[in-house]
Amino acid sequence: MSEPEAELDFELAKQQLTEFSARGGALVSGVADVDDFAAAPEGFRPQDLLPGAKRVFVVGGSPPRAGDWVSPKHEHQETMGTSDRINSLGLKAAKFIEASFGYYALFVPPGVNKGNQPFLSVALAAELAGCASPSLAGPLLHPKHGMLYYSAIVTTCPLPIDGRAEPACPAPACLDMWEAEGTTPCMKVCPIDDGGCLGGDIVEGRFANRRYNTARCATRVHTHWVPGFQKGLEAALDEEDPEKRKMILYSSFFTRTLWSMTYASQSQAQCYECMRVCPVGAEERTLR
Amino acid sequence: MSFFFVEPEIYKKYKDEVIALSDSVQVNFQEHLPPEKRRRGHSDREIAEKLGLDERTVREIRVVAERDTYDLEEWEKAIEFKDKACRAFARHGISYVFKYRDELK
Amino acid sequence: MEIEASASEDTGREGLLPSAPVCEAGKKAGALIVGVAAANAFNEYVPEGHRPEDILPGAQSVVVAGNQGPTAAAWRSPDHRVMEITGYDFRENVAVHVMCDFIEREYGYNALQAPSLPTAGHHPPMSMMLAAVLAGLGTRSLAANIILHPEYGLLYYAALVTTLPLEPNHVLQKDACPSPSCVQMYEKLGTTPCLASCPKDEGGCLEGEIDEDGRISYSSYNRERCHSRSMNFGVGSVQKSLVDIVAEEDQDRRKSMIYSDFFSQSLSSLSFYKESVAQCFECMRVCPVGQNHKRLK
Repeated sequence: MSEPEAELDFELAKQQLTEFSARGGALVSGVADVDDFAAAPEGFRPQDLLPGAKRVFVVGGSPPRAGDWVSPKHEHQETMGTSDRINSLGLKAAKFIEASFGYYALFVPPGVNKGNQPFLSVALAAELAGCASPSLAGPLLHPKHGMLYYSAIVTTCPLPIDGRAEPACPAPACLDMWEAEGTTPCMKVCPIDDGGCLGGDIVEGRFANRRYNTARCATRVHTHWVPGFQKGLEAALDEEDPEKRKMILYSSFFTRTLWSMTYASQSQAQCYECMRVCPVGAEERTLR
Repeated sequence: MSFFFVEPEIYKKYKDEVIALSDSVQVNFQEHLPPEKRRRGHSDREIAEKLGLDERTVREIRVVAERDTYDLEEWEKAIEFKDKACRAFARHGISYVFKYRDELK
Repeated sequence: MEIEASASEDTGREGLLPSAPVCEAGKKAGALIVGVAAANAFNEYVPEGHRPEDILPGAQSVVVAGNQGPTAAAWRSPDHRVMEITGYDFRENVAVHVMCDFIEREYGYNALQAPSLPTAGHHPPMSMMLAAVLAGLGTRSLAANIILHPEYGLLYYAALVTTLPLEPNHVLQKDACPSPSCVQMYEKLGTTPCLASCPKDEGGCLEGEIDEDGRISYSSYNRERCHSRSMNFGVGSVQKSLVDIVAEEDQDRRKSMIYSDFFSQSLSSLSFYKESVAQCFECMRVCPVGQNHKRLK
C-alpha cells in the first residue's frame, strides 16, 4: 500500500475516478458524505463498515436493455440478470481508488447480512450521492435513464461531495394521470388496495403518503428464490402423505426455486411490473 | 390457494404418456434428418391438447416425472461410472472404450 | 451507424444488414466463434412458445457466440471431479452482453440475451443448441445431441435475440458428427467411441446408427439417465435426497443423511452451478472431433 499523497488534488481525483467508471460502463456516478447517513440506523452506516470512512462513491448503470423490457415472457428478465456487471465495476472502482490515490476503499457487498438486511443501503447511498432520486414505486429513478442498478464504495478519501438530485418522480405524464384518474402507472399496475404493493398520493406535484407492502412485493420479486424455497420446504414438511410430499419436492415451483438460488448472483429480481410502466427513462427503453 | 402440486393419482395416471411425449428420451433430433423422420419433444401446451389436460397440470406432471424416472441409486452409480471411465481414458486414451472395457466393470 | 442493407435469398427477408460488425464485437469480447441465424428459421424445429418471436416480438435475428470450456489439461485429469467443479469464464455470455449493448447503442434496435436457464423442469425458454446449429456453428452429434463444431468439437453457447435484420449464416452442409474415423469404426465394429462409452443397452444414455452415406440415420438419447450423471450433484440430487430425508423417521439416520457426503456435495454444487453446470464428460472425452485442440505437451 502506497502512502497517501499529501497534496492529492481531490477534484482531479474525482474526475479521474468518474472517467474510469464511465469507461467501465457506468451511466452515472456520484459522491456522498458519510455524515449524511445519520438517518440510517447504527450498524448500517459507512463508518460501521470502514473505520475512518469519509465518503461513499456510487456507480450506477447496467439496467435491463430495451429488448429485455419489451419481451412478453416474464421469465426472461427473471433469469437473465444484468445487475452483476455493476458490482464488477464497483469492485474495480474500489481497487482504482486504493491503487491510484492510496486511500482505503471498501466495496459494499451486494448481498444481505443478518436479519435479511443489507450491509449498507446502496439505494440510500445512490440517493445521497445524487445519482438518482426516490420514487413512489420504490426503485431510485434517474431522470434520463430511469431505473438503474447501483454499487457503492466506502472510502477514506475525502472526494468532493455531490448534492442530492432533483426528484424525477412523479414524471409530468404521471401528474397528468393523477389529475385525471387519481392514480399513476405504477400504482395502477400494482395497487395496494387491490392485491398489489403500492399506494400513495401526489400532493403539490410531489408524491406523499407512500404505502408499500414489502411482504407482498417479496412474493413477486423473490418468487422462486430463498423465500420460495422456505415456503416449499415448509409445505413439504407439513404434508403427511409421502406421495404428496414427493409431488411438492419435485414440483416445478420447487425445482425452479432451487435453480434460482443457484443463479441468484446473476438475477435476484423477478418482478419488474411497476418499472415496466414507469415513464421516467422510457425513451431509453424504446427502440426499433 | 396453498402450494400447487399435482395429485399423486393424476400423476400416476398420466406420467408415462406425458414423459413419452416430452423430450425426455430424444429420438432422431438431428436437424439434417428428413422431416418425416425427424422428431422433437412436444411442448407442455401441445401435450395438454393431446391428453385433454390443462397446460399447468402437464407441466407439473412432466417436471415431477423428470425427477422421478430414476431412483437415487442411479445417481450413486453415476459416480462410479464416471470415475472408472475417466481413469480408463487417462490411462489408455480413446481406445479404452474398445480395448479396455473390462476396466469399467 | 450507416450500413448498406441487402436481401437474403435464403429467407426471403429484405433489408438485411451485414453481420460482420456485430460478430466482430462479439469476438473482441472473447467469443471464439460467432454466427447468425434468422429468427424465423426456428419455427420448423421448435414448438410455439420457444421461438425467438415468443421471447422478443418482431425478432429478426439470433446471434450465437461459442467458446471452449475445460482446458486441454482438464480433459486429461484422471479425477472426474476436476471438470465437475472447475469453473469456466463463460466468455460467450460476456460476448453476448457486449453484442446486445452494441446493437442497441449503435443500431438502435432491441436486443436481449436469449434465456437459456431452465424455468420449468429441464426446459429453458429457448434452445441454445438449436441456435448454434441454425447459426452454422455446428451440427448435432450422436453423443447426447451435443452440438459439435467441426474444428473445436464441444463448445459452450450463448445467444442473443434482436429485431435487427442481419444476414444469416448457412447451416453447415457437412456434418461434424460422425467424424471420418467414427464412420470407419462404425463400419468395422458397429459402434462409435461415444456410443461405446455410454451404451443404452448397458445402462447408459446413447444409441445410434450411421447410414451408408456416413450420416446419422437414427439416434436415441436418454436425458433422465444423463441428468443423473451430468448433473450428479445439484438441484435434482437435492430434491431426491430431501424426499428420503423428510420421510426418514429415525432421528440418527436422518442426521447421517443430512450430513452425508452425497447431500453435502449436492448442496455445494448448487453454489458451483454458476460456474460449472456439467458433471459428466465421458461421451465427449472420447469424441475425436476437436481432439487436435486437446493435445498439448
